[in-house]
Amino acid sequence: MAGPTTTTPAGGVLESLSNDLAGAVERAGQSVVAIHARRRIPASGIHWRPGTIVAAHHTIQRDEEITISLADGSSVAATLAGRDPTTDLAVLKVDEAKVPIASFADASGVRVGALVLALGRPGAAITASMGVVSAVGGEWRTWHGGTIDRFVRLDISIYDGFSGGPLIDAGGRVLGLNTSGLSRGAALSIPIATVNRVVDQLLASGRVSRGYLGLGMQAVRLPAALVERLSLPNDIGLMIVSAEPGGPGDSAGVLIGDILTAIGTTPVADPSELLALLGGDQVGKTIEAKLIRAGEPKSVTITIGERPPQARGSRRGR
Amino acid sequence: MTSGLHVEPLGRELADVAAVLRRSTVEVRTRGTGVGSGIVWDTTGTIVTNAHVARADHATVVLSDGRELAGVVTARDPRRDLALITVDVAGTPLPAAIVGHPTDLRTGDLVLALGNPLGITGALAMGIVHVVERRRGAPRWIRADIRLAPGNSGGPLADVRGRVIGVNTLIANGLGVAVPATTVLRFLADASHSRRGTGYRAA
Repeated sequence: MAGPTTTTPAGGVLESLSNDLAGAVERAGQSVVAIHARRRIPASGIHWRPGTIVAAHHTIQRDEEITISLADGSSVAATLAGRDPTTDLAVLKVDEAKVPIASFADASGVRVGALVLALGRPGAAITASMGVVSAVGGEWRTWHGGTIDRFVRLDISIYDGFSGGPLIDAGGRVLGLNTSGLSRGAALSIPIATVNRVVDQLLASGRVSRGYLGLGMQAVRLPAALVERLSLPNDIGLMIVSAEPGGPGDSAGVLIGDILTAIGTTPVADPSELLALLGGDQVGKTIEAKLIRAGEPKSVTITIGERPPQARGSRRGR
Repeated sequence: MTSGLHVEPLGRELADVAAVLRRSTVEVRTRGTGVGSGIVWDTTGTIVTNAHVARADHATVVLSDGRELAGVVTARDPRRDLALITVDVAGTPLPAAIVGHPTDLRTGDLVLALGNPLGITGALAMGIVHVVERRRGAPRWIRADIRLAPGNSGGPLADVRGRVIGVNTLIANGLGVAVPATTVLRFLADASHSRRGTGYRAA
C-alpha cells in the first residue's frame, strides 16, 4: 500500500443522510428547552404550545423557582401549571418564549423500524442520540395507573437530558415526548395524543383527577371449593392488605383481609383491572364491591374518592 | 426522509468509507498497556494515538496490511491525552488519513469510528454527534452517541467521507468522547517546536 488515502466522494447518500439528521436536530432543537428544577444536571422540555412547556414529571424536583433556558440562549422564569405522576408529565407556563413551538408529525410516523432521534438540552447545547422505534403497541396503563394511548419502545441510548425531550423523525417533526421514568431504564416515548390530553387537563384544573379507594391489595388464588360454593367468576381475587384510615374503602367498612372479587358485575383479578374502573370521571360515584369475608360473600357500597395529589418527582430516571 | 434515500447505495458507501478509514488505522502495542489504536497522520511515519495508550518509550505499530513497525514515542501530552509515535517507513509512504474540520460538526451528523475494541482488529462503529463541547467557539471535546470499547482508544472518529475529525479517547456515561483533530494539530505543532528549539525528549 502506498500514498495518502483519499476520502470518498462528496454528495453521496451517506452525506445527505448525515445532513438531514443534523438539519432535523437544528430545526427541532429550537423548541427544546433546558429546565432548571433539580440538582446537578438540568432536564429537558418541549415548547409544546405558545407559552406552554411540557416536561417529564420525575425530573421536576421542585415546584418553585424554576427557570428555563431557551435555544436562543435566553432564560425565563416558569411556573408549574400542574403535574400528572401517572403519565410522568408536567406542564410549565412561561410569560414569553421567543422560540418556536414544536412541529408535530402524524401518529402514523411511529412505526417499528422508523429512524428516530431523541433530543435533549441538559444545559446550553442541544444533544441528540439516534436509534429506531423498536416496538409499538396499543393503549397501556403505567405503574401509577396513567393511561398512555400507545406503547412506543425505543432502541436508543439514554443519556442525561433524555427525559422530557422530543422523539423526532428525520424531518425534525415531533413524534412524542421521551421518558425513562415509566419503565425500569428502558426508553419509552409518550405519544402526542396522550400529552395533549394531559396538557388540556392540567391547564384546565392543575391536575389530572383519578378515582381512589384508599385500599392496597394483592392478587391471591382462591380455593377451588370456595370458588365452586360461591359461584365466583374466576379463581383469583384481590386481598385487601392495607386501608387508608378515613379513605373511601375504610369509610364503607372494607376490612384488611377481605377479598375483592368483582366491582358490580365486572370481575377483578388484577389491580390494573380495578384501576381501569377508576377514571377521573368516576369520582363521587358509587360502586358495589363484591367481597369475600370469612368465607362468606359480602357486598359493600363505596363512594369513589379522588386520589390525593402526589408530591415532587422522584430521583429515578434521566 | 427528504432526500429519497435508498438503502443499497447507503451500505455500499459505508463499506467504502470503512475501507478508507481502515487503511489509516493502526494497532498500537506497548509493554504493559495492551492493545490500542492509532492514526497514520502522514506518509512519512507520524502516528497519533492517546497518551494513555503509548505509556512506554517504545511501541509496536501494526499497519492494516499486517506489517509491524518499531515505533518510538517522540511526544506525549497527558493533559490532552495525545501521543506521537514515529516509525521508520524505510522509504515506503504510509497510507495517511485525511484530516477533517471538527469546527463544522453539528449535533446529529453521522460519525464513524474505527479501531480495535476489545482486541477485534479494524472494527467499525457508526453513530451521531451527541454534542460538540466548545470553549470560545473552538471544539474542546466531541461527544458521540456511538458504541465504543477499550481498544478504540487512539483510533479515528471520522465524518461520513472518512475525514478524521477526532481521536477516540474515552467513554463517559456511555458516550464516546474524542479529542478534536484541531487539538491534535496544535499538539503536533507544539511537539515539533519543542524538538527543534530545546532538544525535546520523549517524556
